[in-house]
Amino acid sequence: MITLSIDTKTIQVAPDTNVLKAALDNGIHIPHLCYHPDLSISGGCRLCLVEVEGQDQPVLSCGLTAAEGMVIQTQSEQLTELRRGVLDLFISDHPLDCVVCDKAGSCTLQEYAYEYGLKETSYEPTVSSALFQDDNPFFLRDHQYCILCGRCVRVCDEIVGVHAIDFANRGFETNIATPYDGPMIDSTCVFCGNCVQVCPTAALMPVSRLQRGREWDLDRTLSVCGYCGVGCQIEYATKDNAIIYAQAPEHGAANGTFLCTKGRYGWDFATSPERLKQPMLRRDVAHKLGLTEEPWELPETSPLDIRNPNVEQYFVPVDWDTALEFVSSRLSEITESHGPDSIMGLASARCTNEDNYLFQKFMRAVIGTNNIDHCARL
Amino acid sequence: MSREKLDQIAEKEQARQSQFDKRIHCCISTACLSAGAGHTIQTLRDSVEAAPTGDEVEVVQTGCMGLCSRGPLVRVQEKSGEEVYYADVDSECAEELVAKTVSWDQAQAKQQKLSSELQTVRARLETARRKRSLKKHILSPDMPFFTKQVKVVLRDVGYVDPEKLEDYLAHGGYEALHKVLTEMSPEQVCDEMLNSGLRGRGGAGFPTGLKWNFVRREQSDVKYVVVNGDEGDPGAYMDRTVMEDNPHQVLEGMMIAAYAVGANHGYFYIRAEYPIAIDRIRGAIRAARRHGILGKSVLGTDFSYNADVRIGAGAFVCGEETALIHSIEGKRGVPRMRPPYPSTSGLWGKPTVINNVETFASVPAIIKEGADWYAQIGTEKSKGTKVFALAGQLTNTGLIEVPMGITLKEIVYEIGGDVPGDAEFKAAQTGGPSGGCIPNTHMDTPVDYESLQELGSIMGSGGLVIIDSTTSMPEFARFFMDFCVDESCGKCVPCRVGTVQIRTLLDKIIEGRGEPEDLDKLEALCQLVRSTSLCGLGQSAPNPVLSTLRFFRHEYEALIPTNA
Amino acid sequence: MSDTGSSNGKLKKAQEHPSGDERYVTLDRTMKRFHNEKDALLEVLHSAQETFGYLSEELLFYISNHLHVPLSQVYGVATFYHQFTFEPQGKHNCIVCTGTACHVKGSSEIVEEMSAVLNIPVGKTTDDGLFSLSTARCLGCCGLAPVAVINGEIQGKATPETIAEKVGRILADEMVVQDQEEAG
Repeated sequence: MITLSIDTKTIQVAPDTNVLKAALDNGIHIPHLCYHPDLSISGGCRLCLVEVEGQDQPVLSCGLTAAEGMVIQTQSEQLTELRRGVLDLFISDHPLDCVVCDKAGSCTLQEYAYEYGLKETSYEPTVSSALFQDDNPFFLRDHQYCILCGRCVRVCDEIVGVHAIDFANRGFETNIATPYDGPMIDSTCVFCGNCVQVCPTAALMPVSRLQRGREWDLDRTLSVCGYCGVGCQIEYATKDNAIIYAQAPEHGAANGTFLCTKGRYGWDFATSPERLKQPMLRRDVAHKLGLTEEPWELPETSPLDIRNPNVEQYFVPVDWDTALEFVSSRLSEITESHGPDSIMGLASARCTNEDNYLFQKFMRAVIGTNNIDHCARL
Repeated sequence: MSREKLDQIAEKEQARQSQFDKRIHCCISTACLSAGAGHTIQTLRDSVEAAPTGDEVEVVQTGCMGLCSRGPLVRVQEKSGEEVYYADVDSECAEELVAKTVSWDQAQAKQQKLSSELQTVRARLETARRKRSLKKHILSPDMPFFTKQVKVVLRDVGYVDPEKLEDYLAHGGYEALHKVLTEMSPEQVCDEMLNSGLRGRGGAGFPTGLKWNFVRREQSDVKYVVVNGDEGDPGAYMDRTVMEDNPHQVLEGMMIAAYAVGANHGYFYIRAEYPIAIDRIRGAIRAARRHGILGKSVLGTDFSYNADVRIGAGAFVCGEETALIHSIEGKRGVPRMRPPYPSTSGLWGKPTVINNVETFASVPAIIKEGADWYAQIGTEKSKGTKVFALAGQLTNTGLIEVPMGITLKEIVYEIGGDVPGDAEFKAAQTGGPSGGCIPNTHMDTPVDYESLQELGSIMGSGGLVIIDSTTSMPEFARFFMDFCVDESCGKCVPCRVGTVQIRTLLDKIIEGRGEPEDLDKLEALCQLVRSTSLCGLGQSAPNPVLSTLRFFRHEYEALIPTNA
Repeated sequence: MSDTGSSNGKLKKAQEHPSGDERYVTLDRTMKRFHNEKDALLEVLHSAQETFGYLSEELLFYISNHLHVPLSQVYGVATFYHQFTFEPQGKHNCIVCTGTACHVKGSSEIVEEMSAVLNIPVGKTTDDGLFSLSTARCLGCCGLAPVAVINGEIQGKATPETIAEKVGRILADEMVVQDQEEAG
């Protein structure tokens, strides 16, 4: 371990840790826009400057490896002046329409402008790119808010491995682009939305949240994604019991700060009227069991058509006990009459390993067959 | 191929050359070519062929002779070593020159039948013989332009045929390489560099021996040497000239570095705007490979080395070493933070030596003549010589090599021959867009790394542009800021946005819309960009503005309306 | 491509490209020389531009596929370097040097004059595809400043008049050729 001092606080970190991470992990905040703990170091935002004892010039803490006995100052008049100057340049190329911005309250640039008392830029406001792209149902790209921190490019390349976007052009004209600034759908994008989550400003925004409430209006519920067995932590931002957007919470055990497209955008079923909320028995079976009075016969078209909105026309809601009892009695009957190998079990990739283990145990020990498979094999 | 065989080639070439009483060197480098050197050399060749005698004269194409503004340049070299320079040699002058160089003695007449075309040339020579205009073209050898120079890097430039390995060998080429391979350990080579005091000629002035030692000490099975030929400073063409006019010299220097640090592969990174330099370096690599100078067993030793060329694509920032590395790796030429320095993690993460062309070109001479010899030239902290591309409003412009510590006054008034016409010398701009303007009041400043830095400029790679009193300094500063805006890579905000805002402020001031506080604002912004930018390009981008604000503030103030 | 039965590997290679364009042979050769390494992207882009005159969307896609470099990265690299162009270039071209030495000797006037004569901004090509106008950051002929390059030929100590005249002559020659074609 390496011992260093940051703002008079003595800190121990693992070798090869950069000073910014060392500070952040120990509750000392140094402003930063391009740094992200899960991504490679860029050094482009120039905000995380600190003073190192024995060095004349301030240095970037993200690129500074902690060394034994290092003495760091994260706050000083000089640093405030430099950071303020850099932020002033940032906001000269960024519309200051925070009053109507959906990102207000969770925008890092806004937070720093507030912290450093920058009401407006002292320069001639000049926005480098006015490109506005709303070419997909998941997120929009509004380049005027982009500060070119490059987190989106790095997450797409380093974490997702897709590299759908990259820096294009150069200098003041630099922008984050798909090839030829084409629509996202024509790129290799998988719409996982991790770029949206790491974006510190309103350049990348989930479509679902536009004008549906600002950060302080939203409730947050921590949950586990139900799509597969990985068990990603997921945080739903809701308002009036409706989901506004989903994102990965910080430090999810399985997923870190990332999600896939299903977890992030596939939650509209939650409030769908078609959603199944309790077990149901087919009407003819229910009649045989004496649960309904009306006799009923299967129509020619399949009652299993999930797009049929009148599901209750074919099914009767029952409680869990009735449903499970029915299933177990039928399984017993079939095993007895046709032997255990007449039954097959198909497990789901959406279940956890433990669920799947129990399921195969059930098939082998209780039913008595090896006929078991898994949808992920298909 | 062994050294002996190369010696044989060298001796054969020397013997061949010594058959000629006179050798006419004609510069065919870019500047002279565009002044018509192509016609000149053709006329020289035709005339020698058509002359009654002439077997004793050889016409040789060579590289830059320095005084580019007076091209095409021709030099007649006698067997005795005596030389006469001729300037502005057009076809007519070339004929007269040949007519007066060859012997008209019937006894020595060639036995040949002239074609009808050559007969016409002969007739023209007869006439040219009687002309008297040649004298006007002679450049006096006492001209300060020649006498004030000390040539180390350029000593063979302008003498050697750049497309002939034999000629380079005849001039002692690859002797230094052979010396280090057979007589010196890598450590000794680094020490020799350190003792010579050679500092990086790319601009920053980092001691070369120190850099090489860092790479030498790194433990790695693969190391690289990179020649930075991305000379992007507008107004500078030293590196281009050396690559075009003596490519083997650069290659030799690079190979000595490779041996010193333990590298077996290297790259020349040359900007695409220099097609001739690219061709010549490629040609040199091919010739060296053919002769066993490059390859598995260099000069018969067990040192192996190979070199390749990579072409830039129009990005000034690629002169910055980390950006250059990205560019060779086929990526956007964007700099990254240092450390790690390329000496620990360079090309493909391997320890890499990056020096510019002039630095490598200085190496063979230092090895051959010794570190002490080199260290006695120049000043205490800045040793050796520096090549400058002298341009702008001067009588003599071109390529010069001067000892470090020479004063600006000597360069401008003596070598440069002062500003032509009625205008007055106002300032010297060094270091291109990263440098600054030095006013005529500081003319006694010695040209060395530290003195220039004190004046808010830098040595840079060697652009030296002279500005006369007709140039407005704020506008000149804006010209450089335009350049920096254009060439900023866009990675870090101070350079990407800061340069744009500096230019906006300059526009405002130049257009007469400035307010009194704008100058302070401009200065503060410049300081911010300087202290917070990621790479050298951004950090030095405000230099032209800061230095003109410092020395020519009154010009800025004069542009601000008084009633404001 | 009539020679479909040819055993010539190079020809076959060209046919692999759906357009059957033989220029792809040259490009393939460059890529092969660099063993289709990702690092060769810049060299390959140079070769592509040299062969095709400019970098089309189709070309970038082709390169991206063969070098296994994401298309977004190919696009990002190509747009970073000013040497690469994405539009077809004119039959003739005029490059005015705007380096420091040329600047102090009045190159901006040449640029303005040329822009007016050709009626196009810098970096563009005339509608008839005859002339492209561009500027360069120092061609390294500072001793001859100001300098312009017309169709590869360096014009030293240039003035707006000399360059306009030179360009005018090329345009006039083109008119003659056009007239002849129309007449013939």
